[in-house]
Amino acid sequence: MRSFYAAMRRLLHAVLLGLVGAGIVHIIVLLLVPEFSERDAWSRLSMASDLYKMTRLDAEAGGAPVVKSVDPLFYATACRFDLGEGMVRIKAPGHVPFWSVSVYDRSGHNIYSFNDHTATGGVLDAVVLTPAQMIDVRKDLPEDLQGAIFVEAPIEEGIFVIRAFVPDDSWKPIVSRFFEQSSCELQDF
Amino acid sequence: MGKSIGPLATRPRAAISPGGNFSCPWPFMLKNALLTLLSLAIAIGGGGGSVWYALKIQDGVGAIRIGQWTAFPDIGTPSADPYSKARVAREGVLALGRAEGLSFVAERDASGGELKRECTYTIEGGFPTARFWTLYAADQSLGVVETGKPRLAALQSYGVLRQPDNSVIISASHHPMPGNWLLTDGFGRMYFVLTFYDTPIASSTGLSDVSLPRIVKVGCDA
Repeated sequence: MRSFYAAMRRLLHAVLLGLVGAGIVHIIVLLLVPEFSERDAWSRLSMASDLYKMTRLDAEAGGAPVVKSVDPLFYATACRFDLGEGMVRIKAPGHVPFWSVSVYDRSGHNIYSFNDHTATGGVLDAVVLTPAQMIDVRKDLPEDLQGAIFVEAPIEEGIFVIRAFVPDDSWKPIVSRFFEQSSCELQDF
Repeated sequence: MGKSIGPLATRPRAAISPGGNFSCPWPFMLKNALLTLLSLAIAIGGGGGSVWYALKIQDGVGAIRIGQWTAFPDIGTPSADPYSKARVAREGVLALGRAEGLSFVAERDASGGELKRECTYTIEGGFPTARFWTLYAADQSLGVVETGKPRLAALQSYGVLRQPDNSVIISASHHPMPGNWLLTDGFGRMYFVLTFYDTPIASSTGLSDVSLPRIVKVGCDA
């Protein structure tokens, strides 16, 4: 009988140890999920297209949506960039009822956002660059960058997303054209 | 398990110990190994499983509740909690920025019942300040409900009729409704997603005195 209690105590000890271990594993796994996820926005986008290439996020362009986003009354497009190669310029001529922009880092955190009320004349023209590149640009601001919105981001790889409001069906071609005309390019400086 | 191994483990020890230096007989080692294995199984299985469960449920830390509506203003920002960060990475979400807008999700009506796609609801009340808002009926994954018709299960503020006091009454139903009709379809759980764009409430200070419309159940299809 005594040996039975001893065995049970050992069993209980093992279970308690296991539960403490479960707590530790829980924390470790939780912190490692963002590092090793292959389903995050960056990975999905990189499967769909290259760097500096605008990719529609909504299902309207055909096929399943690349990144689970969004409001059914919105269209969205995204491009990935790498500031290690140089600063990136995003332009979209044309007017739509509402557009907004977000810059995300590699792991999908929103680090900067603005909308059409921020832009000069409501036209989307933005440059994303690192603080070091900003210092270089400030020394001698090129003529054609005068009206652009500068987004200083202390990151290397990132995602630029444009969202645009589609109030009703009649706006669909206009918003689609707005996205088709948008560009995401490595800017020489 | 303990019952069968217990006696086995003590007997050889008694038999060998007079012999001297051999202090760890094999059944004892086997028992230790089994218990270690059990601990490891609980640690890895329980730890991994609990993370999976915590990420699966909709509810989470950092939520702000207003009536039946829940928002996660911090989700997708670098200051989010580890659970939100893991969820963002796992689901590939690109969350709305502060200057873009703020989404609220409702999963229950005013009486506390879960929202059902086969039921009719009235959503009424005032809406906080924003350039515009959109409202859509969503399924479990927060994608818009498929209606199978050209009409989307979504409404937006430029296209709704307003009461004299600027409040809005919306009927969400599978059947055509007078006034503002939000078409829904199908059976099972439903969510309402209400998103305000270009709104001052997206900054956390603005959220304290916001009131959102009520969701009242009218009736259900048999």
